[in-house]
Amino acid sequence: MPYLGSEDAVRELRRALSNPNVQSDQLRYRNTVLKAIRAMSQGVDVSDLFSEMVKACATVDIVQKKLVYVFLCSYATLNPELSLLVINTLRKDCQDPNPMVRSLALRNMTNLRLPSLVEYVEQPLAAGLRDRAACVRRVAVLGWAKLHNLQPDAEIDAAVVNELYGLLRDPDPVVMVNCLRALEEILKKEGGVAINKPITHHLLNRLKESDVWGQCEVLRILQRYHPQSEDELFDILSLLDASLVSPHPPVMAATLGLFLGLCSGLPAVSLAALERVRGPLLAACGSTSRETRFTALCHIQLLLRSLPGLMGAHYKRFFCGYAEPAYIKQRKMQVLVELVNDENVAMLLDELKGYCTDVNPETAQAAISAIGRIGRSYSDRCLEILTGLLGLKQEHITSAVVQTMCDLVWVCPQCSDTVCSALEGCEEMLQDSQGRQALLWLLAAYGERVSSAPYTLEGFIDRVRSEASLGVKMELLTTTMRLFLCRPSETQDMLGRLLHYCIEEEMDMCVRDQALLYYRLLHCGIEETHKVLHGQRSDPSLGVLIGRPAEPINQWAYSFNTLEPLRQAGVETEPASRGSPEHVTFDPKPNTDLSDTLNCSQIEKLGTPISGQLLPFFFAEPLKFHQVGWGASVHSHFQISPEMFNRVQVRALAGPLKDIHRVVPKPLLCYLGCVLRFVVLLEDEPSPQSEVQSALEHVFIQDVSVHCCIHLSLNPD
Amino acid sequence: MIHSLFLINHSGDIFLEKHWKSVISHSVCDYFFEAKEKAVDPEDVPPVLQTPHHYLITVHRGKLFFLSVVQTEVPPLFVIEFLHRVADTFQDYFGECSESVIKDNVVTVYELLEEMLDNGFPLATESNVLKELIRPPTILRSVVNTLTGSSNVGDTLPTGQLSTIPWRRADVKYTNNEAYFDVIEEIDAILDKSGTTVFAEIQGVIEASVRLTGMPDLTLSFMNPRLLDDVSFHPCVRFKRWESERTLSFIPPDGNFTLMNYHVSSQNPVAIPVYVKQSISFFESGPCGRLDITIGPKQTMGKTVEALMVKIHMPKAVLSANLTATQGNYTYDLPNKVLVWDIGKLNPQKLPNLKGILSLQAGAPKPEDNPSLNIDLRIQQVAISGLKVSRLEMFGEKYKPFKGVKYVTKAGKFQFKCAALYEPFLLSFWTILFFYFTTF
Repeated sequence: MPYLGSEDAVRELRRALSNPNVQSDQLRYRNTVLKAIRAMSQGVDVSDLFSEMVKACATVDIVQKKLVYVFLCSYATLNPELSLLVINTLRKDCQDPNPMVRSLALRNMTNLRLPSLVEYVEQPLAAGLRDRAACVRRVAVLGWAKLHNLQPDAEIDAAVVNELYGLLRDPDPVVMVNCLRALEEILKKEGGVAINKPITHHLLNRLKESDVWGQCEVLRILQRYHPQSEDELFDILSLLDASLVSPHPPVMAATLGLFLGLCSGLPAVSLAALERVRGPLLAACGSTSRETRFTALCHIQLLLRSLPGLMGAHYKRFFCGYAEPAYIKQRKMQVLVELVNDENVAMLLDELKGYCTDVNPETAQAAISAIGRIGRSYSDRCLEILTGLLGLKQEHITSAVVQTMCDLVWVCPQCSDTVCSALEGCEEMLQDSQGRQALLWLLAAYGERVSSAPYTLEGFIDRVRSEASLGVKMELLTTTMRLFLCRPSETQDMLGRLLHYCIEEEMDMCVRDQALLYYRLLHCGIEETHKVLHGQRSDPSLGVLIGRPAEPINQWAYSFNTLEPLRQAGVETEPASRGSPEHVTFDPKPNTDLSDTLNCSQIEKLGTPISGQLLPFFFAEPLKFHQVGWGASVHSHFQISPEMFNRVQVRALAGPLKDIHRVVPKPLLCYLGCVLRFVVLLEDEPSPQSEVQSALEHVFIQDVSVHCCIHLSLNPD
Repeated sequence: MIHSLFLINHSGDIFLEKHWKSVISHSVCDYFFEAKEKAVDPEDVPPVLQTPHHYLITVHRGKLFFLSVVQTEVPPLFVIEFLHRVADTFQDYFGECSESVIKDNVVTVYELLEEMLDNGFPLATESNVLKELIRPPTILRSVVNTLTGSSNVGDTLPTGQLSTIPWRRADVKYTNNEAYFDVIEEIDAILDKSGTTVFAEIQGVIEASVRLTGMPDLTLSFMNPRLLDDVSFHPCVRFKRWESERTLSFIPPDGNFTLMNYHVSSQNPVAIPVYVKQSISFFESGPCGRLDITIGPKQTMGKTVEALMVKIHMPKAVLSANLTATQGNYTYDLPNKVLVWDIGKLNPQKLPNLKGILSLQAGAPKPEDNPSLNIDLRIQQVAISGLKVSRLEMFGEKYKPFKGVKYVTKAGKFQFKCAALYEPFLLSFWTILFFYFTTF
């Protein structure tokens, strides 16, 4: 009971509303209605007053009418029978000489949202389309769309559709735009309103008359039109030129979207259009509304994909202000990284350095990884800053720096000396699992050069019992193995301890499995182990990053002026995880809470890998599943000998086995000349080996041999 | 397009909701609250969130979140701009856009939202038209209303909606015909340790207050229109005339409106009205630091700098400040770690100075992040870009209007980056000085 005494209040209101003295005094009557509305907005359930309110509706006082309508629309669904009474009043109001009353009645009639009332509403709506007042027509046109939404399966009345098409020529621009909106909704199944040449030209000629919102709408719908000749195309473009530099960001964005759509076959024209919107876009970046700034930034990122030099001279516009929200700062840094060149690199790095100590840890991390990205082209300067940051002894900064170094070394092996010397003594500052994973990976790759590596590892192994993160444990196993290969005398003892712990005591299947695998590998002899475990330290294919190649505009034109570029994971994950080693992300929370339609495109995009990028998805309770573990040695035709055994991917298979291709992304394997170990968690009873194998072979490419073994889960339930 | 709107306050209560299509349950906002929990600062919630069936597009204005629920793919700028328009309208109607004011005027707010959107599409958003439909509440009017029984809702159709000039109502009559223009400029600048400009730009706006009878046609011309780049106009301005002659020609809306926004940047060097000499240092030994700030006039175009105020975001470890100011007074807001020094008028003969000791939390490491100085100021009667209105002419009506132009310069995002002095020599020097003071 959130509101004590609400029943009393309702009773009081009802008494007042039905009191003839109140009813005869217009002012008192209206104030009582007002009180009821106020109570409603405070959350009191006043639906019992419905019948009194229906009576109050029959008044000449337009204010009272408005108030009552608000009430009726909110509670109509609860009282469908009584709503019939309302309809009569509303229909009477539709005949009122005052156009304002007519439009009000019509609007509320369609807002009642009761399918049972549709038959009574149709006639006044049809009359409304032919009303002499524009404001009534505006409402009537949209009314048809609302009716259609009420009964989406009902037959579409061709006469109404024709009439709506006719009203596209209405003298009032709002009626015209509303017609477009209504037709879009009504004809959704047929692909929206039909756009032909006369309609297009009519809409374009009247574009200037409508307001900002209407212009956006028209421009969006015109994207469906394909001009018949080049002359026509250029006529349209020159007509739209003024809106392209419109001071209203929504109009500018909609026009550019239309431009890009129309000129998809003319890249030179599209590029010229991008140049032209630079000014308005930059202005939107300086807008007082932070949301507009953010959206403009996201769209600039899109544009930079095709025209990397577009904003070169304006890099200072992307410096962050102190009070800007984190999401803007992070986007600005992403843009800054794209704009770096020989002249401004010192200035940019100086600025980014300032952001590394930001109060918000996420912003600080973004700044550090931005420096790391610039480091691919200007490694010396960046490493200097990064090692300087380690001196601050801040947990989150150290973690971010180590992760960044890890990424950097993978791309620029020449940095390894500096990185190795910087690593000493930073393990005490690392608290989060990602930072420790990165440190372990670095120790594995450059263990022989870091003198304190065995001691660091020993510390990790001593604490392995209390280690919560699966990723760290897996990484620890691989690192100890690899360090053992280059410094056997120092590490032999601790490797033994670690393997013993992982095989005998560890509860996690993946860790245990991995440890067993290494154990057996060691049995095969040191030569074999070396062959398998000696992995790459860097990715030669990436090399020094000298600016991104310009993408064709068509790659992103479809997502311009939509919500896609604004998504969190949209652009930034791609460069962030590009080429980084397998420590990437151990996402403890699978993205299953997002719907399929919204999400799958994202996964696909991430799954198009640049070599070595894996996406481990780990599900919270693996022991619940029966488990199939298998090592697939993949010999692609690029390299014959298996090189690496440290890439592990864990995936859960939720569906039946035939869906396995959804779990194992195919293109991933084309790039790997190595042994890949996959752990697939199965929910079903483990099927015969041959079935699994055939399913897997179906997925993999021809020149791949698959070795498959099935482990039963330790404690199936 | 826009399905529903929720208004949410900083503590996370939904205090108003409006649905234009079917009713969407409150629970959709949980995704927003989740993101808000995660964010360090409530303002850090990203403007677009994705839920399984909807998108949530949020705009943050004056400690309120305007959260719109959208079911299909929409142009984001469109929705964001519209939500800001809603907030602007509330501001326009009630003087401010805050929770208490909206709650007080909840009925008007519902009426406004009803008029602004129909079936999720923007309907009437022009302030002039809306004010004809629903009159803004004023104290006088509410008194009159209660006495006479008239209302704040117009009972005739707004004439503007039918005329060819949608922003102006017909048959306006005034006894005093006046047209006032305020040129307001804000300096957005970042200056580095040595005082050189890292980034500077001027955001200008011309606010107009026009009360003229009939259907006047105004022409406003500038002495130096070439200064302006990135202009954006009220829809009443004839863009063709601006492009060809660089004059503003328009039939004004009735009442207050924003005539144009502009930026001045890149080509023209921006005058920085004040300079700051500052040093903030923290000692290697002992939990304290030292602060010394002096402010002086630089390029003020011969006018006095007023309402000068310095805001410093201190490192987390700073507990208190024991300072002396030669002018004005200072406060240290401990929970937010903000030091505010309110100076007032800047006297070029006697420069204001603030210095003293900052005490740190015992045992905390020496703060590393350099505090930055945010400056607030105001200069009357000058537009810092040098923009000047040369003349205002009126056509179409016979009377002589009273005309006036006012210039104001303010600081927008005006920020000095601090030099953090960690040089060993300086530190030891200050330490010695400090010991000198404490021992004698």
